[in-house]
Formats: sequence, C-alpha cells, structure tokens
Amino acid sequence: MIAARGLSVELGGCRILDGIDFAAHGGCLTALAGPNGAGKSTLLKALCGILPGLMKPDPRRVAYLAQDPRAAWRLTVEEVAFLGRIPHGDRKRDPVERALAEAGVAKLASQRIDRLSGGEVRRAMLARVFATEPEVMLLDEPTADLDPRAAFAVMGLLRAVAASGRTVVVVLHAIELALRYADRLVVLDRGRIVADAAPLVALPAAAAAFGLRFGEDGLPHLLPE
Amino acid sequence: MSRAGLLRGVLLFGLFLLPGTTAARAALRVVSLNLCTDQMLVLLAPDEIAGLSPLARDPALSAVAGRARDLPTVRPSAEAVLRLHPDLVLAERYGAQGVAAALKALGVHVVMVADPQSFAAIRVEIERLAVLLGKPARGKATIAAMDATLAGLPQPVHRATAILLEPRGFTAGPGSLAGAVLWAAGYRDAASGSWIDLERLLADPPDVLLLPEAKGFPSLATGLLDNPALARLPRRTVPAAWLMCGSPFAARAAAAIAR
Amino acid sequence: MRFLVLLLGLLFVASLMIGAAGVGLPAPVIFWQLRLPRGLLALLVGGGLGASGAALQGALRNPLADPGLLGISGTAALGAAIAFYWGLAAAFAPALPLAGLLGAGVGAIALLVFAGRAPTGPSLILAGIGLSAAAAALLAFALALAPNPYALAELTFWLLGGVADRTLLDCALAAPPILLGIALLISIGPGLDALSLGEETAASIGIPAEKTLRRVALGTALAAGAAAAVAGGVGFVGLAVPNLLRPWFGERPAALLLPSVVAGAVLLLAADMLVRIGVLVLPLNAEPPLGVLTALLGAPLLVVIARRMGR
Repeated sequence: MIAARGLSVELGGCRILDGIDFAAHGGCLTALAGPNGAGKSTLLKALCGILPGLMKPDPRRVAYLAQDPRAAWRLTVEEVAFLGRIPHGDRKRDPVERALAEAGVAKLASQRIDRLSGGEVRRAMLARVFATEPEVMLLDEPTADLDPRAAFAVMGLLRAVAASGRTVVVVLHAIELALRYADRLVVLDRGRIVADAAPLVALPAAAAAFGLRFGEDGLPHLLPE
Repeated sequence: MSRAGLLRGVLLFGLFLLPGTTAARAALRVVSLNLCTDQMLVLLAPDEIAGLSPLARDPALSAVAGRARDLPTVRPSAEAVLRLHPDLVLAERYGAQGVAAALKALGVHVVMVADPQSFAAIRVEIERLAVLLGKPARGKATIAAMDATLAGLPQPVHRATAILLEPRGFTAGPGSLAGAVLWAAGYRDAASGSWIDLERLLADPPDVLLLPEAKGFPSLATGLLDNPALARLPRRTVPAAWLMCGSPFAARAAAAIAR
Repeated sequence: MRFLVLLLGLLFVASLMIGAAGVGLPAPVIFWQLRLPRGLLALLVGGGLGASGAALQGALRNPLADPGLLGISGTAALGAAIAFYWGLAAAFAPALPLAGLLGAGVGAIALLVFAGRAPTGPSLILAGIGLSAAAAALLAFALALAPNPYALAELTFWLLGGVADRTLLDCALAAPPILLGIALLISIGPGLDALSLGEETAASIGIPAEKTLRRVALGTALAAGAAAAVAGGVGFVGLAVPNLLRPWFGERPAALLLPSVVAGAVLLLAADMLVRIGVLVLPLNAEPPLGVLTALLGAPLLVVIARRMGR
C-alpha cells in the first residue's frame, strides 16, 4: 500500500495540493481523475517522493511512470525495459522478459524506440515499470497516445496486476476507462479530494468537477453541458 | 573634414612637435626598439641612449642586462618613442615592424639593423653602426676585442661533433649564427636542419650537447632542454643571452663552449 | 569490446616501435624516456577524454557534449598554464595537475550551474562555446603576460595539445587524477541510465539528476582537467568517441562508458602515431600538433551530428 496524510504541496508559491488524505491498497486499481490543474500528477509525484522535501520510498518497491516518458537516446525496447532493473544494480533477465510480454512488446524487443509509434513507446515505458516488479505502481496517464484497443489492453493488464495483490494508482483522463476497469475513483479538484468511492458512485462528483452534466444513455456517462 | 584629411592633419601636427635638426645638439638621442639593437647601442654609444627596449633588462635574454638597469627604457610604441624626441631610432628587421614603419612615416630617422649570422657580418654591422653613431674609434676597438677572443680559441684538425640544442628543439644548422659560433669554438655542427626531434638526436648522438642556459621562468620550449632523456649526453652550457644576437657576445659564447 | 582492447594493445606496442628515430625497437634511452611516456600519456589522456565525453553526453543528454567543446578543457589549460609559466609547477610539480583540476572544476561548475536551468539542447552547447571562447582568450592573455618570452608561442600547445617530448614525471603526475576520474565516471553508469528517461524518472528510481551531474562534474574535472594540464587542449576525442561507438554498443549511456575509455585511448594513440609517421614521410620541419589531427577528425563528425539533431 501507499498512503499520505494531510499532504500539502506548494510549488512556486502556489498551493497545488491542500491537505490530502490518501491511501491506496494492494489488490485494488485506483484511478485518479479531475480537471487539468487539479493536482493529479502532483499527488502521484508526492507519493513517489520526487518532490523536494518529501520522504522517498524504496524505489524498488514503488515505481513511477512519468506523464511524458521520453528517452534521450535511441534505446531498444529491451534496453528501456532493462532500465527497470539496471539502475538498481540488477541485470536479471526473467523479469524483463516477463515485463516485455505483459506490456505486449515482446515482439518489438530489439526495435529502437525512435522507430515506434507513440502507443508502442508508451508500452515500452510500461514494460520498464513492470520489469522493476514493484509492489506499488504510480502511473501518470499510461493510456495517453494509445488507440482504444491498446488502451483497453493496458487497462486490462493493470487490472490483472492489481488483482495479483499489487497496488496500482493510475491518473486517467478517459473517465470511461475508469468506469470500466478501476475499483475505485478518486476525484481531485483544485488540490482537494472531492470524491473517493467506487467509480459509479464517484461519477456525479467528477461531473461537477469537470463542469459537465451527468447522465445515462444506456450506460452512465459524462455528457456535454 | 574627411577621415584621411583628419589623419594627415594629426600626422603633420606630430611632425611639428619633432625637433628640427640633429646638428643643433651636442649628443645624439638614440632609441633602440629591439633586443639586438639594444646590445649594439650599449656597446657603442652608452651615453647617447634615450631609450632601450624593455627586454634589454631581462637577464635571461639580454647580454647587457646589468648595464641596462641604469639606462632608460621605452615601450615599443610610436607614441612613447616620439615623446623622447629621438634623433635616431634603431630597429631590427624582425619585431616592432609596425612601430618602425609608423615612426618612419612621421619623419623620424629610423635605421634598420641586420641580424648578422657570421662573425664577418658582425664586423661589418659594428663598423656601420659605429659610423652612424659617430663613434668609429669605439667600433674599431669593439671589433678588435672580439677578434682577440676568437683568435684565442683552438681550431683542432679533427673536430668533435656538437649539437647546439636551443629551446623548442631548434638547432644551429648551416649558415646560422649558432653554426658560426660552433665552428669558431672548434666543433663540427652535427645538426642538419633547423629543428631536431629528441628521438633523432638520441638515435645518433653528437660528442657534445651544447645548451643555452637562461635563468628565468619556465616554458615548454626551455623545459625541453631539461628532458631526462638528454641527461646522459656530455654537455656544456652557455648563457642563452650571448647567442641571441649577432653581436660581439657571440664570440664570448664561442669561448664558453670551446674545450 | 574485446576487439577494441586488442586494437589498443597492438597500437600501444606499435607506438613504442615508431618514432622520429625510425621504425623498430629504439635505443633504451629513447624507449624508456621518450616513447614510453609518450605512449602512456596518449593512453591516459585518450581514456580520460573518452570517459569524460561519454559521461557528459549521458548526463546532459546531448550528443554534442565534450569537455573541449564545453570549455572544460579550456579552463583546465588556463589553470595549468598559469601554474606552469609563473613557476608554481617548477617549485612543486603536482601544482600542474592540481591547477588543471581547479580550472576544470571552475569550468564544469559554471557550466552545470547554467545546465541546471536549461539542461539540454543547443543552449548548453552555446554556453559551452562561450566558456571555451573566454578560456581561450584568457589563456592567450595569460601567455602574453607570462614572464617567459617563449610562452606566447606555446599557445598552440595549450589550445591544440600534444603528447610529444613529455616525461615519465608528466605521466606520474597525470595518472592518479585521470584514473580516479575515469573510475568515478564509470561508477555513475546507473545514474546516467536513469537520467536517459528524464529527470523525474531518474528521481523516482532513486538517483536524482543533481547527484549524477555533481559527480560527472567532479569526474570530468579530474580526468579532463589533468589531461589538459599535461597534454594541452586535445579536442574532439570526447565528442567523437561515444558517437562513433553508438552504432556498435547501442545508445545506453552506461554501456558506452568503458568502451569509450578504451576507444578514446585507441583514437589518441592512433592520432599520435599519424603525427609521428607524418614527420617520417612528409617534408615537415616540425610535428603537427596532435590536436590538429583530432580536430580534423572531429569537426566533420560534429557537422554530421548537428545535422542529425536538426531533423
């Protein structure tokens, strides 16, 4: 599990998070949603301790996928996945191969990532997180750049990972993915948690935060005003 | 006024400031711009020096450093030289060319002095300068003293080979002043060119290694002479300042290295 | 890698066999006092520059980073030249590499303070060009002020570098800081790898960017600083080596570190052999400075990289 109590973060004199109490548990896929600037990414970074002045958890236990994961060099997919272990001083091959398979990029292992599509790059980066075999995964929009089919595949995979007992916290912009796959939806607005419940239960609060209507046309949905 | 016109005006004004003729004065006021002309001037007309180059006082370079300490020096710039109102300016063909040219353009009497590369040429240059400075007798005496030094040096039939290794690996070579000094000292110059690599020198070492010696601050050029690889060769040293110019000091250098 | 080590060994043996005195085993004094220090210094300097280049490129995530191009070699040469021409090194020999380290340290810190604000991209290279221009200008000024009249003529050595006619003492002075620097730079491989995925990811892995940059600065100051103190500002080795190796060893920064050390030594040794052979076969009346050759190799490469980056 991973948790924070009374978490407040100020960056450049601006209060981004304001007294957040948050905990995510093993076996549970937690989705974070909210309008742009609500503090979702900041909460994720705070949890993984990369903001100044915060406690740093054991990096082998907590892995983080940045919102804009790019590689400075033209690494191969396999090299990217190995970066989940090499910086920790460990070159075990099995977990890396498992991670490549889980992320659905085993076939691309020897491809250079500058030749891949955005979605394939995103999955290669996920493979790096999987290869670490962390207890907690903090993923900032892992389905950005993915087409619906790939997004479903990744979310399904994360569900399975969570079901195996690990803690998965995902920032999602696509609410329907949260509704379909998450066990729990935490809605942030202007640095505060405004809802924390099962996705369907939290949906009206999410609609309010986004300034949208909430309705049903067969399934519950956010609708335009 | 155009820029060229302005320049001409300034130059004319400069000329106006210069003293009229040299005949009005009892003694000449002579300025030397370079190290080698400094030495000639100190030897031939020490009382008429209006300014020596600053290098004249550097014991690592100048054979007359001791005497130059009590003599005036002047920075090699046309302005600084003009302020001294010289009757005559001595300059070498190398170095401070811009200053000499500017002074000439301003109407100053500038005499270019050759850097003689043989003792015969040194005699000619001393004589010419002595006449120019109005000291022909002093010139003759200087030449006589130099020739007496040279006459005292042994001239063996079988000459030992020597290489005069100067900073940066320069060697005497045929036709150079250092070559003339080597010959006068009774050696045969083993160097073929003007530059020798340490490896080549050690692969075919001469009987004697001759090294100019200068107490002074370090440089890579002089550091080369201290390379431990050279330590085993028989060596003789000579003050570097004596070899700097084609002057009577070259004869002293020959005397210092003669066996 | 095995090929590189083998090549290095062969070149080193060959370098002991070739020189102005001819081809073949020379007289002992030439072997021990001239060729050995020359070969060893080429190994040390090449290895140190190769490691510095690979580590700088990795840490700054920029394939144009190089101790020479970024001005670190320049500030090192400035420090060393001041210690040398004003007699400090003559009075206390280790003052030479120490002054080189100090100069390189000042240069590296100046650069990384800047890099902290604009970490990658052309702005850093521009800052480096500014630093190296300032260092070269101050070097020329220092040599013009130096008490020895030969000093100014030696500007070419400090700007272009060389390993000819250096002594075993020079090797002994340069070896400890260069080897220490190389060891330090190789030890930060994990930090460089982590940084290749961005600063946030590196921090999440537990190796924040500042820590890696600090150690790169220290390692480069040691390796490239001491190299410049004894061999002048040999340029482009640190730039060329990692770029030449990427097609063979991949682009992961840590995987390039050790090969860059070996290949840097290979490159400098080969360039110095060309210098020596040049004097043997061409009608030159002096050896061309080593830096001329490395620059002739590195400059076209720089253009190629710049074009690739522009795309």
